[in-house]
Amino acid sequence: MSDLDKQIEQLKRCEALKESEVKALCLKAMEILVEESNVQRVDAPVTICGDIHGQFYDMKELFKVGGDCPKTNYLFLGDFVDRGFYSVETFLLLLALKVRYPDRITLIRGNHESRQITQVYGFYDECLRKYGSVNVWRYCTDIFDYLSLSALVENKIFCVHGGLSPAIMTLDQIRAIDRKQEVPHDGAMCDLLWSDPEDIVDGWGLSPRGAGFLFGGSVVTSFNHSNNIDYICRAHQLVMEGYKWMFNSQIVTVWSAPNYCYRCGNVAAILELDENLNKEFRVFDAAPQESRGALAKKPAPDYFL
Amino acid sequence: METVVDKDVLKSSGAELLPDGRRGLRIHDWEIETLRGTILTSLAVEEWEKKLKTSHLPEMVFGENALVLKHLGSNTKIHFNAFDALAGWKQEGLPPVEVPAAAQWKFRSKPSQQVILDYDYTFTTPYCGSEVVEKDKETVEAKANPKGEATLQWENCEDQIDLAALSLKEPILFYDEVVLYEDELADNGVSLLTVKVRVMPSSWFLLLRFWLRVDGVLMRLRETRMHYRFGEDEAPTVLRENCWREATFQSLSAKGYPVDLAVWSDPSSISQRLPVIKHTTQKLKIPSKV
Repeated sequence: MSDLDKQIEQLKRCEALKESEVKALCLKAMEILVEESNVQRVDAPVTICGDIHGQFYDMKELFKVGGDCPKTNYLFLGDFVDRGFYSVETFLLLLALKVRYPDRITLIRGNHESRQITQVYGFYDECLRKYGSVNVWRYCTDIFDYLSLSALVENKIFCVHGGLSPAIMTLDQIRAIDRKQEVPHDGAMCDLLWSDPEDIVDGWGLSPRGAGFLFGGSVVTSFNHSNNIDYICRAHQLVMEGYKWMFNSQIVTVWSAPNYCYRCGNVAAILELDENLNKEFRVFDAAPQESRGALAKKPAPDYFL
Repeated sequence: METVVDKDVLKSSGAELLPDGRRGLRIHDWEIETLRGTILTSLAVEEWEKKLKTSHLPEMVFGENALVLKHLGSNTKIHFNAFDALAGWKQEGLPPVEVPAAAQWKFRSKPSQQVILDYDYTFTTPYCGSEVVEKDKETVEAKANPKGEATLQWENCEDQIDLAALSLKEPILFYDEVVLYEDELADNGVSLLTVKVRVMPSSWFLLLRFWLRVDGVLMRLRETRMHYRFGEDEAPTVLRENCWREATFQSLSAKGYPVDLAVWSDPSSISQRLPVIKHTTQKLKIPSKV
């Protein structure tokens, strides 16, 4: 058994790697990811997964439902880290699988794969707590810069974490982005990772926050038409039922973190596409309480005032 | 999850836990209970949007979660739920707060036919609880009493909640906290409405808290506390204190506080640093038996 295989076995038990091993793994991953296109080509059959957010034991449920990698070909749409308790183990397992089976798993970038966001929403603190230094966070966030921005399944299904951008009409415009950088605060790369479809606008909407685009049905219709694609598959937004179609099945949101933040009670879904691109959503629940390392936090009685 | 309390302590306090796996207890003339469910389904979201006349709700609305305190003698019910809180948000309708990145976005080229949404995405609410008197299974809304009889009316008062008494480490017979709604502001901070309760042998006490942090922009804390002492049976009175605090990151930085976000994650520990912008104390006389 190679070192990498041993590391994968170890990570599957939710045991983190040594700092030196993380460094070596990230170097190998970088060599693979740097060769990938901003619109990475993916062959069917493939199983598409949405946000995971460090919910390691729920990701193990995902693999139970979808099958192990490399037997199943996977595409993950980003947001591997933050919020949940096991961002380190979750991301490292996916990265180790990527290095071991580069043609059987595709990882694209979500808005949480960023230095700034991970410092606020958990991954940074988790690295510091588990390793006593921020080196592992540095290695991982350096790798984030190399993750592809989108994927294209059999030239027919466009997959991205967030959504569309008014600066992007064609896939070639995505291919032309220099992605090897921290996620910027505006521009095409930012939009692909951050924007959301919105029922109440037809064209483009600006979020009331003053930053962040919303796109309506006619935007999706014209994008799909100009790029000759059947539909868009994205993640980024929590859906109680695990997946949700919008705009006459021109775009679907897939959400793969069941019982999000260990309290929402939502189910999760993955989208299985066979070799003819027939779709099947597989819906699954959170891992049973007893199979988790740590219990979900119960509120301890306190003498609040 | 409530704690396991000693049965003898419950008994000597005249309290009994609710049966059938319900969370809560009966004590003196009160039944206090928390309810929990999942976030709204997509279908329920549509229904709520219709009822509330809005096209936006927080990402996580716990529609079945509630804290209910019933005074059995008078059928008075004080309760806390997400729907009423969101009705309050809709009515207050604050203007939106721009995030720091908005400054840069103003220089972006605008797509044709751009609509700017302008609802209050922070879901700030003035909600401080709901009260009704229930009559023979039919519920009479306290404020919509047809005869105009003010059966349930919060009156301003000078009394203060007795924090010293509440600081005594009396045994806690029942404790719970439920989330009513929560939104991550698309990773620009947090908006969270929760209510927690503790019941001791001498009184019950609760805290409803709306907590908002728009990263790099502002923090807002709107708290409602209610306290009721058992044993004042002639004129049972609930005391309520509302306290609103608010500060911009800019003003905090001017005062020399760090603006590192990690410092501002726990509202309990930082509330003293946020200036009070509104404070009221009121009491509710529980009506005699109807």
